[in-house]
Amino acid sequence: MIGSPDVVAFTKEDEYGQTTPDPWALPEEFSVPLHPLVDSNPWAKTSYAKFTKDFILISEFSEQVGPQPLLTIPDEPKVCGTFDLNYFSLRIMSVDYQASFVGHPPGSGYPRLSFVEDSRVVLGDSKEGAFAYVHHLTLYDLEARGFVRPFCMAYVSADERKIMLQFRELSLRFSQASECLKAGNRRAFAKELQRKLRDLEYTHSVLQREEGLQREAGPQCMYSAHAVEKANELANVEKSIYEHRDLLRQICSYHHRPRRDPHAVTCQKLDEGEDEGGKRRPSYTPQLIKAKSPKCFDKRLKTLAELCDNTFYEATVELLKETERSFRGDLCYLHTRRLDKALRRKQRMTNFLFEEDLGDDDEDEGGTLRPFCAVNHAVDNFTLLSPPPIVLGPEPLELDALEPPDPLDPASGTSHTQESELGLVESHLESSPSDQTLETQGSSEETKGSFSSDKSGTGLAVRQQNVACMKSDAPDPDPDSDLTPDPDHNIDLERESSSEEIETTAGEDEGDGTPVSLLEVVSELEASREDECDGLTNGACEMQSDLLVPLDTACCMAQEGFLYEASAPEAVPRPGQSSHLQPCQTPVVNQEPQALLHLQDDYTVGSPSSQSPAAGLELPVELLGDADSRTSVGDGFDCTMSASTGSDRAASPLGYGGVVTLRQRKKAGQGALRFVRQYPFAMQALWCLLSGRTLVVLGADEGMVRRLVAALALFVPGPGKCGEKVQAWLSCPFTLTDLQRWKLIGLQRVASPVGSSMLYSLSRYSRYISILDADQKTLRCPSYRGQLLAKIADHRTYIRRGSTFFLHLQSTLCHLAAKAFLFTFTHHLHLPVSSTEGPKVVEGRRLCFLQEQLGLGEEDSQILLYLSQLITQQYLQPATGGRASATCFSFNYTTSVLYKI
Amino acid sequence: MSSGCPPQSPAVAKSEVAVEGECPLLAATFAYWDNILGPRVRHIWTPKGDQLMFLSDGEVTFLANHTLNGEILRSAECGAVDVKFFVLAEKGVIIVSLIFDGELKGDKNTCALSIILPQAELAFYLPLHTICVERLKHVIRKGRIWMQKYFCSASVHCFHFPRPQGYNIISVLSLEIVPIMELLASMKSHSVPEDINIKDTVLNDDDIGDSCHEDFLHKAISSHLQTCGCSIVVGSNPEKVNKIARTLCLFLTPEERKCSRLCKADSSFKYDTGLFVQGLLKDSTGSFVLPFRQVLYSPYPTTHIDVDINTVKQMPPCHEHMYNQRRYMRSELSALWKADSEEDIAPDTVIHTDETFTPDLNIFQDVMHKDTLVMSFIDEVFMLKPGLSLRSTYLAQFLLLLHRKALTLLKYIEDETQKGKKPFRSLRNLKTDLDLTVEGDLNIVMAFAEKLRAGLHSFVFGKPFYTSVHERDALMSF
Repeated sequence: MIGSPDVVAFTKEDEYGQTTPDPWALPEEFSVPLHPLVDSNPWAKTSYAKFTKDFILISEFSEQVGPQPLLTIPDEPKVCGTFDLNYFSLRIMSVDYQASFVGHPPGSGYPRLSFVEDSRVVLGDSKEGAFAYVHHLTLYDLEARGFVRPFCMAYVSADERKIMLQFRELSLRFSQASECLKAGNRRAFAKELQRKLRDLEYTHSVLQREEGLQREAGPQCMYSAHAVEKANELANVEKSIYEHRDLLRQICSYHHRPRRDPHAVTCQKLDEGEDEGGKRRPSYTPQLIKAKSPKCFDKRLKTLAELCDNTFYEATVELLKETERSFRGDLCYLHTRRLDKALRRKQRMTNFLFEEDLGDDDEDEGGTLRPFCAVNHAVDNFTLLSPPPIVLGPEPLELDALEPPDPLDPASGTSHTQESELGLVESHLESSPSDQTLETQGSSEETKGSFSSDKSGTGLAVRQQNVACMKSDAPDPDPDSDLTPDPDHNIDLERESSSEEIETTAGEDEGDGTPVSLLEVVSELEASREDECDGLTNGACEMQSDLLVPLDTACCMAQEGFLYEASAPEAVPRPGQSSHLQPCQTPVVNQEPQALLHLQDDYTVGSPSSQSPAAGLELPVELLGDADSRTSVGDGFDCTMSASTGSDRAASPLGYGGVVTLRQRKKAGQGALRFVRQYPFAMQALWCLLSGRTLVVLGADEGMVRRLVAALALFVPGPGKCGEKVQAWLSCPFTLTDLQRWKLIGLQRVASPVGSSMLYSLSRYSRYISILDADQKTLRCPSYRGQLLAKIADHRTYIRRGSTFFLHLQSTLCHLAAKAFLFTFTHHLHLPVSSTEGPKVVEGRRLCFLQEQLGLGEEDSQILLYLSQLITQQYLQPATGGRASATCFSFNYTTSVLYKI
Repeated sequence: MSSGCPPQSPAVAKSEVAVEGECPLLAATFAYWDNILGPRVRHIWTPKGDQLMFLSDGEVTFLANHTLNGEILRSAECGAVDVKFFVLAEKGVIIVSLIFDGELKGDKNTCALSIILPQAELAFYLPLHTICVERLKHVIRKGRIWMQKYFCSASVHCFHFPRPQGYNIISVLSLEIVPIMELLASMKSHSVPEDINIKDTVLNDDDIGDSCHEDFLHKAISSHLQTCGCSIVVGSNPEKVNKIARTLCLFLTPEERKCSRLCKADSSFKYDTGLFVQGLLKDSTGSFVLPFRQVLYSPYPTTHIDVDINTVKQMPPCHEHMYNQRRYMRSELSALWKADSEEDIAPDTVIHTDETFTPDLNIFQDVMHKDTLVMSFIDEVFMLKPGLSLRSTYLAQFLLLLHRKALTLLKYIEDETQKGKKPFRSLRNLKTDLDLTVEGDLNIVMAFAEKLRAGLHSFVFGKPFYTSVHERDALMSF
């Protein structure tokens, strides 16, 4: 089977090794190293780079000084270190691709502007250990040679693979930035042309007047040398007017040019809001143009900001900052993070158990994977990513009405849209940096703050401004879409935040110096959006609770008639129906899980159906419980806030109404590791949480309790988008209803009458709950003798960092969720094989599966049963976010044991 | 010709390559920087037949010259091969250029070996970029040796023409350019889709033994994962081969699937180095000859699955594979250095070798390490009802678990070694802490981690392995 003639050569007998060097030996420069990776460090392959982290470099090929770096993002000297930016600029600019002609083409009377498509190059300097994605673009400048100023924007990294694997994403981001610059530049260029035209017309009129005066003053048939000079000057000015008008016409025809780049993004429409009809602009006073222009090296070339108009420039810089942030971090973490997200999208059925919220951005799937899929660069994919919200210019306006036709103007017939896009109406002539809206300036200012505020500032300001939009060249673009806020913008933010998380994962655990997660910003954005609709988060939750879909009893496997043939559409619960399960029955499902995904997307905090099918112990406080549940978030938070004394509140992310972010969870990982190491009975506490038994953390110090709660919250199955099942700090007695709602409670220990009533409530409900006394370091709960949790609660673990422990937790909990999914959706376990089989036989089969197939003991089985129950409820009541589980309050009378350190 | 006319440029030599099917490659070029004339194109290869886009020789020459722009500044180390990747929307093409130095006409020149594709093929090409680049890099190593020998030989021949035909750089480069054209053409027609319908795989069977024996399936998937998702599936029945190939591809990322190929129904493709999964059809005699050299040059070890006789064999783990690969490469280059003429280096034949190295021909061995991860997955997934999305979801959960375990392992080692600054000495603790005490499980997770952080195997297992190899070599030398 395996054979090749080429191996025959290798089978010849070895000879004894030669001691003298072989003169015919292959020189090392033509060979490959024998041990390319051994002895070397897989993490250090980029260590020879002279810069510390990736950055963005903007360079220009200046006609005066050659290639020169203009700007780096982030703009910190330590980022670039000793890396020679001048040399690198020279290197990247020297591969510019300027194939198009600019200047006077043969046979044409006027200079021609050529709209050159951007080119993209990945190159490297292996000696320097620097690799770059380089995006070349050309801007127009009336004073530049050939009217063009070549620029490039480069993403510089020490990891070549990172660039190639994310080529498409980089290309898209930089195309957007480039379009933004170019749109601003076209506008500025057109304004400059307008001014120049007015100057020329003014000069023309002055010269004409002077010539007339001379003609009147001198003899009719004789022309003095001076008069001839004037006449020539006049002719030159007229020619110049024609040329400039032609240039104006050309720049206005930008959108009508054929695009050669199928991957380009374009500015579709401009927002007139920025100009406000030019009300604030002073009128332009034309100036006399001298016959001789200054020499090339005498003039000062415009800066990039001047070339592009400050607003556009700042927007571009913002865009690039976002780009830099979103690609920050090690490739392997970026890669895994995106794969992770893509895989979680395929299992929405169980994500609610232990995963952070994915968001409802279904369309983001392509976007998140894009960097690692060499996705079709076709334009339709671009629509998945959020366009940068930047103001590009005004709406198309009727130019004719504003600008009278001029017989001299060859551009007078130019499309209105084009000119208005460029803001060329007279009243709009004077665009200046002061034209930018206050919001824009504000956002620019905000970006100078901390990372968190920077991001939120950017996101909010940018979103609210709705100043511009970039759009792909997709066919049949919706013109209106340009003017609406981009709903996907948060997707990008989230993606960026994930990369930020990734960096955090790769780096510090404690994260004191690390930037705040952008996910928080996303949540803020979401919260602010919700505010607009219906108040705070609880408002939104209430709003969504209106969408509750009552249950279809037919969904339940335990009933007669539940069967395999259920098709997806039929499987969707119908409104108006509900079911009550028998108390002893575990609700199970027979539907294809994906059939209900659209409902699960709505999963959020909300009140359970008043006719919940889940039938655990019917408590006398059922109605109250439901009523409470309807406003649970709000109530919970109110309670929390009223009880909170404010000490060290930042220690816990929970209980403040925001979406629990991955970063918060990672930070809690450190606390969880500490807990596991510190408390030998940690396993018991985790088992309580994972098997659905409410755990009360009792303590006097709010900070300590909050920290413990935050750490333990990682183990609460289905904690809710905002951690609704966790009450981080409670300073009043709780009721049985509370135990339904909360699976983890931080309880204040106070020495007062209130304190005694709290202790009373603790003792009263002690059979239902487990109590972790943070002050005494004790735990009272039923004993756990299983093996399942030994993997995550071994106090002898050698895991050093919280972030590593969090990753370990994630994979272990993911494994648990998978097993619970299997148990829930393995049909034959939950159905009688024959009509003679009773519920006991089915129950026995389930237990047998847990014990023999999955190898679980009694306590471990309880975990799976509880998770399975939650999945079932989540599945049957996706609109309520499975909150019906709260109504299924179960307990057993196992004796509790007191554990001490 | 009048004396006033400039001398006519010599036409660029061109080879037309017959490729079966639609080849997305527009052209390949070999250009160099002439110290007097600037960039010059030496040779052009084009696929024969109809193409969606046509580039004239002039355009190809223009583009090839363009690839050397800025390379006058090149300050790379001797022997380095740098990669440049252009997307030139103005011309509607993408160009991949490998820049290297070589001896031409007695001077040290900067050279560029490039392939040109239509810009529309960007999405198709990007996943295959690494494969193409790695293969071209190796042929450039050979080409550099040939150029050096050409120069030495030309010196010996006092620069008289014709030059010795034995050292034709173009024929060396053709050794890889033509297979790459064939690879791209075959991928165009037979690559595995990004989204695989589970119904086309074994995982849709009603029961575990329906399509293939349970143990075989378990072993195949387990070994496939242990060898970083790199497998060849051979058999006589193309449908059977492709079903297993698709099943294995389910365990790959979408990007890796794009680097996988199904087998042709009527005849077999050649084995291609660098693909993740490839289905290969046996010939009429019931055999398929694998080229040893090319299998060894694969970036990862490979699993060999024969669906006719239900056997699964695997190559040694990454660190051993890399070591064997490097030694073979060095042998091959060394043999080339000592070769006398082009005939000595016909494709897939190396005459001489390093006397100290005898490759182990028995590179495919039985799967030694059992795992629990795949075994329980296979057991359990068939409990879920087929035809719904339950199995896909469960598969996604399984893959998520593996990716997370790999990342955890990577982070664990990162913490323990301070990002590789210290040697890793706590494998036993790692196994206990991360629940990877079963050897097969560890192999699978390590393989996932290796793809995330190349060189991890060598870092963790390298030292003991090389020590044992040296000891063995030392013993054998007595």
